[in-house]
Amino acid sequence: MSKHVLEISNNANERFGKFLTRFQRRISAYPPGICPLTVQLSLLQTSRNQTCGKCVPCRDGLLQVEKLLKSILDGNATMDTLDKMETLSELIRDTSDCAIGYEAAEVILEGMEVFEDEYISHIQKHACQKDIQQKIPCTTLCPAHVDVPGYISLIGEEDYAGAINLIRKDNPFPTACAMICEHPCEVLCRRNLVDTSLNIRGLKKFAVDQIPVDEVPVPKCNVSTGKKIAVIGGGPSGLTTAYFLALMGHKVVVYEEKEKLGGMLRYGIPNYRFPKVRLDEDINAILSTGNVDVKYNVNICKDNIDDIYKQYDAVYVAIGAQVGKKLRIEGLECGNVISAVDVLREIGYEKYPDYSGKKVVVIGGGNVAMDCARSAMRCRADEVTIVYRRRQDDMTALASEVEGAIMEGIELMTLQSPIKIESEESGNCVALWTQPQMIGTYDSAGRPRPIDAKKDMVRIPCDIILIAVGQDVAYGEFEDFGIPVYRKCIITTPECSVKGKEGVFSGGDCVTGPSTVIKAIAAGKVAAYNIDEYLGYHHKVNCDVVIPEAKLNDRIQTGRVRITEREARIRKHDFEHVENSISYDEAMQEASRCLRCDHYGCGVLEGGRD
Amino acid sequence: MANLIIDGKKIEAREGTSILNASIYAGIKIPTLCYLKGVNDIGSCRLCVVEVEGIEQLVTSCNTHIKEGMVLYTMSNKVVKARKMMLDLILSNHRISCFSCTKNGECQLQSYCLEYGVEKSSYEGSRNIIERQVIDSHPFLSYDSSLCIHCQRCINTCSKITGRKALKSGKTGMFTVIDAPFGADWKKTLCESCGNCAQACPTGALSEKRRKEYRPWEVRKVLTTCPHCATGCQYYLVVKDNKIVDTEAFDGPSNKGLLCVKGRSGSFDFIHSKERLKYPLIKNKATGEFERASWEEALDLVASKFLKIKKKYGPDSLAGFSCSRSPNEDIYMMQKFVRTCFGTNNVDNCARVCHSASVAGLAMTLGSGAMTNPIYDITHDVDCIMLVGSNPEEAHPVIGMQIRQAVANGTRLIVVDPRDINLSKQADIHLKLKPGTNVAFANGIMNVIISEGLEDKQFIQERTEGFEILKEIVKNYTPEIVGEICHIDPNQLREAARMYATAKKSPIIYCLGVTEHSTGTEGVMSMSNMAMMVGKLGRAGCGVNPLRGQNNVQGACDMGSLPGDFPGYQKLKNPEVVEKFEKAWGVTLNHKEGLTATEVFPAAIEGKIKGLFIYGEDPIVTDPDTHHIIKALENLDFLVMEELFMTETAQFADVILPGLSYAEKEGTFSNTERRVQRVRKAVELDGEMRLETDVLIDLMNRMGYPQKHLNSAEIMDEIASLTPSFAGISHERLDAGETLQWPCTSKDHPGTPIMHVDKFSRGLGWFFPAEYRPSAELPDDEYPIILMTGRILYHYTTRAMTGKTPGLMEIEGKSFIEMNEVDASSLSILNGDRVKVSSRRGEIESTARVGDKVSPGESWMPFHFTDGNPNWLTNAALDKYAKIPEYKVCAIKIEKA
Repeated sequence: MSKHVLEISNNANERFGKFLTRFQRRISAYPPGICPLTVQLSLLQTSRNQTCGKCVPCRDGLLQVEKLLKSILDGNATMDTLDKMETLSELIRDTSDCAIGYEAAEVILEGMEVFEDEYISHIQKHACQKDIQQKIPCTTLCPAHVDVPGYISLIGEEDYAGAINLIRKDNPFPTACAMICEHPCEVLCRRNLVDTSLNIRGLKKFAVDQIPVDEVPVPKCNVSTGKKIAVIGGGPSGLTTAYFLALMGHKVVVYEEKEKLGGMLRYGIPNYRFPKVRLDEDINAILSTGNVDVKYNVNICKDNIDDIYKQYDAVYVAIGAQVGKKLRIEGLECGNVISAVDVLREIGYEKYPDYSGKKVVVIGGGNVAMDCARSAMRCRADEVTIVYRRRQDDMTALASEVEGAIMEGIELMTLQSPIKIESEESGNCVALWTQPQMIGTYDSAGRPRPIDAKKDMVRIPCDIILIAVGQDVAYGEFEDFGIPVYRKCIITTPECSVKGKEGVFSGGDCVTGPSTVIKAIAAGKVAAYNIDEYLGYHHKVNCDVVIPEAKLNDRIQTGRVRITEREARIRKHDFEHVENSISYDEAMQEASRCLRCDHYGCGVLEGGRD
Repeated sequence: MANLIIDGKKIEAREGTSILNASIYAGIKIPTLCYLKGVNDIGSCRLCVVEVEGIEQLVTSCNTHIKEGMVLYTMSNKVVKARKMMLDLILSNHRISCFSCTKNGECQLQSYCLEYGVEKSSYEGSRNIIERQVIDSHPFLSYDSSLCIHCQRCINTCSKITGRKALKSGKTGMFTVIDAPFGADWKKTLCESCGNCAQACPTGALSEKRRKEYRPWEVRKVLTTCPHCATGCQYYLVVKDNKIVDTEAFDGPSNKGLLCVKGRSGSFDFIHSKERLKYPLIKNKATGEFERASWEEALDLVASKFLKIKKKYGPDSLAGFSCSRSPNEDIYMMQKFVRTCFGTNNVDNCARVCHSASVAGLAMTLGSGAMTNPIYDITHDVDCIMLVGSNPEEAHPVIGMQIRQAVANGTRLIVVDPRDINLSKQADIHLKLKPGTNVAFANGIMNVIISEGLEDKQFIQERTEGFEILKEIVKNYTPEIVGEICHIDPNQLREAARMYATAKKSPIIYCLGVTEHSTGTEGVMSMSNMAMMVGKLGRAGCGVNPLRGQNNVQGACDMGSLPGDFPGYQKLKNPEVVEKFEKAWGVTLNHKEGLTATEVFPAAIEGKIKGLFIYGEDPIVTDPDTHHIIKALENLDFLVMEELFMTETAQFADVILPGLSYAEKEGTFSNTERRVQRVRKAVELDGEMRLETDVLIDLMNRMGYPQKHLNSAEIMDEIASLTPSFAGISHERLDAGETLQWPCTSKDHPGTPIMHVDKFSRGLGWFFPAEYRPSAELPDDEYPIILMTGRILYHYTTRAMTGKTPGLMEIEGKSFIEMNEVDASSLSILNGDRVKVSSRRGEIESTARVGDKVSPGESWMPFHFTDGNPNWLTNAALDKYAKIPEYKVCAIKIEKA
């Protein structure tokens, strides 16, 4: 018999691969709210099953750690058990031959540190900590806790208005979230166990494409309470607060710095991603409550902030993060080196720069960088290049945005760290010099750290440089007014109230730093309810939508519907919306894939949803 | 309707019906463990699975709706096999200890295991590795995790049905555990000890501890009405060997299967109390001691003594108080006794000190002094509840639970109360008004309604009178002025007015916070003013709804135990009425309106009242200004008490006649929603206690009135024959399962759930022009703090009943005073300190509970506890219409004891 043979097909490894995929799917749908110790145990059991049986620490040690961990979960352990577990894990980490052993031990050790309180709770109280409870994945992971299964089932029943109103119970920006939400709701979708997660944003988009939300009447406001609340900043967070407070019967006055409402949704996100006319639908609906007045073009500063504070029963500060961060590189003062926020703001004003014949370089790897690059392309730039210090996979921009940019002909130059800007005599930039990088060891937070690859510097010729490396909060006037600031952000309690300034609340990007729209909306909602309570009320906001009965789960693997985009070669020349609509059949199939976790599983338990 | 086939049987059922319910209608039994109607349909036990043609997986019948054309098999091999395996798995984690288990014989798991032939589990349980815990520090309830099948029935009962959310689930690793609030720190939990969780438990895991004392097959169950508040909860008394050992809720119209802690745990210990009076007692004048007497001796003495006083001082020197805890039949006979034998209308009942203002006030404005709408109607599917001076979570807990359900389902709630009662935490608006300012508040509401044009002009025009005069009055009650009087935010007043006026369905629910004032009747009439102004009367989900206090205080008034009313509020003033009763009873009646109970005491002090017959009241404990009551009682020539216990008032009696409790006799109670419900005899105890009606009949005959012997049902027939609003009510109809709310005017009349539908009882509704007048005694430099009094969840008025249940005494057993932290700190009083509390009338000691439940300058005390009863301090200032005393406002001072 020869020593050299080809692997026969359908061998154990190949067959096993199919099951591994299912294993991976199960992990990718790990339900939120699970006891971390049981996750540790699963991981440990998996690790132990992977041992080849050669070395003592891994072969025999992991099993013993597992027994110790089980005794903790069974309520039979003492603090000594914890010490024993630690010592043994350290031994395995330090003496294992291969990664199967030492990585397993390391995870346990790290878990023991991160979940120390949970371990202690199990040892002392023989129970998990109070907040451990499995919940509906999508609703829990949505920062605003929108009733996702509820509105999906309404869409499935073709009740689009009902779906919109159910969304609005927690989020008055159904259109914005239909277009640009980063959909954290989809991450742990239980459908991953069967095939892949639901396209939740796609379904929401289908609903708002069927009826513009401003044609769906908002719930009737409570009778007037006579209270007046000022909202500073007409972005998603401020308008969310305004919406809920208005429904509660309070009078809200929104102070907006610019001439239109919407904040970053209008002045940060270009029209091709979120058409302004569609943004207006959300805003019109919010204003249709009738209790919201807007004062445009008002700059809040120390001259008027005290008056506002005195004049109103409560104030919500939602000023966002509007100032572009600066890069510390040589030549930043050159002509045609512009902050991304400034460019996008101008575009928001519908003042499109003309880049024809120009080479544009965008520095950064986030969504704002993609927005800049793709906008530059639409402003007729000859070439657009994105320069980023790390790898494409490390970009914080949504993968779909990066993909969209590439398809539109934008070049990604990754692993390039900007060093200096070269200018010509006129003072305008002519090139960006970068230092090639490599990813070295990861930092303590597990983030890839770029280091000098010791290659020659690269010169990237260009006429325009757009810097999209983050935004800061313009907190100065507010800090002077007495609002506490830490690391350039406003500090609040989890109830969004500002310590030391009674009646002042804050939320959104100005508290979190630049973040997603849904997080800003969530803060707006939390603030509204807490402002109401602060004023001595517990107003209810009802939506009067009846959620349809859950249908039986279909257990057959079915494809996830994709939102397609207009052809890159055409769309890159205009600012029209890039996304195509999804069809009725696509929407109905997608809605039918929902496993209705609000009915099946933990969703019906008391406390089983947020 | 949908057509389906279940086990080959063609069935038609409504769309939206669950498979389980459709099967039940079709007479097909499906086993369920976790399912509990209206509470739990989470589908966790999987015992109710059925096979649906065309669907591979088995389907839970409890939470799957039927569809047109469905073909179902409920007992196919696949189904039966699944159920057996399911029971096998459930049993693997259930400690089999049926022998010692309190639920043996009533355990649903046990009975299904028997049915499906699962004797023991073939698996080793996974849960039993976890430490077994029995949580049982609570006086009534215990939880044994080893018996728990994790069906969630208890948790959903506590969260969705009682709305308390005291019972929660927790986790230990992958196992869900029940975080039962019965551990060592049970007093600090939210648990209200109602025990509805225990009733929901299908096994012996969560149970009332007293179940250990009996086995289901040893007992019989007697359906009756709870003797505490006037919610009128229906329940069974569970009787073993002539002893009541437990209670079990029945799905009655007002309680919907719920009970509160008093009903479930505090309604039978007192019956078997060693302290019960067993023989007639006559006080030896020489020694001052009571001596056992025969009934002959006692009744002869009572009859002769009353006759002597009547002869010497005239009929109006006698008076009688009926017992609002006793059945309608007893009360009817009591007032008949006073009217025919004493020859006076000096007959009253304890409504005088709680809701006489409602009876008088609503009779004046609407024509009938009772709750206009049923409890269910005003707590389900309503848009807004205006709750004024009422703390139903404590005083009417089962109504409180239903209000919590309503609020959880989106009903708006306006709480008008000087205290941060628990419901105020869920209220859209809480108007924390100054005690004694209700009339100003209501006038303010109406001022806003009129000035904003929110009044129902058509209703006012067609169905009311007096609007213009009231309009003139309320013109001056602008929100700003009212805000100042009531210490509330004028904007919140405006909002409350708008919210109430614009809600489609909105009831006013009120209680003693409205009535117990020297302007109580005007306060009540202000409630009906508000409702009439917006046309919220005579309609579903609306009305003016006084929550009556005692189990049968509604009945005590209905039965004519009032100085100006015959049964059914037939007026003494009306000569035709008097003539009718004279003819029926065969005597000449006194035409002079009698004295109210609160007038009897001053009259006794003045020597005008000489002889008094008190049936089951304890005015020394319950009436304001105790010193003055004692003085009155001491001044009487002759006091007869009909009692269960040697109460504080009974000590002053000349003769005490031992009576029977609600569990020892037949009769009816009328609950707060005018619903007449049966009381049934459950036990017969040792001793010479006699039926009160028999005692009264004996006395009537002894005093020269020939009263034929009648049993309870016969008495009700007499009541029906003389009372138009009760004409259709009989024990026979009630025993046949009918539930009747008066007016029920003929044998085929279905009763009247909602009053004043097309026409007010009075004809036109009257807007009473009430001006705000301050309380009789306001705080001053010497007595700077306002004292309010009230009830707590765990006790019932004098504690004559609840005080006999040790568990209730363990939960709350001592006097306390709630005071504001600002006042406390200025007096250097800390939470838990002993304090001396005094008013112009007396002084007591109590324990301070410091916080912000009451506003600065205000305080609150329960009147249940003799170790510090605020009635030594309260002011007997009377309302001019109803003569109700001002329990809710008097001036006191608090000092460190």
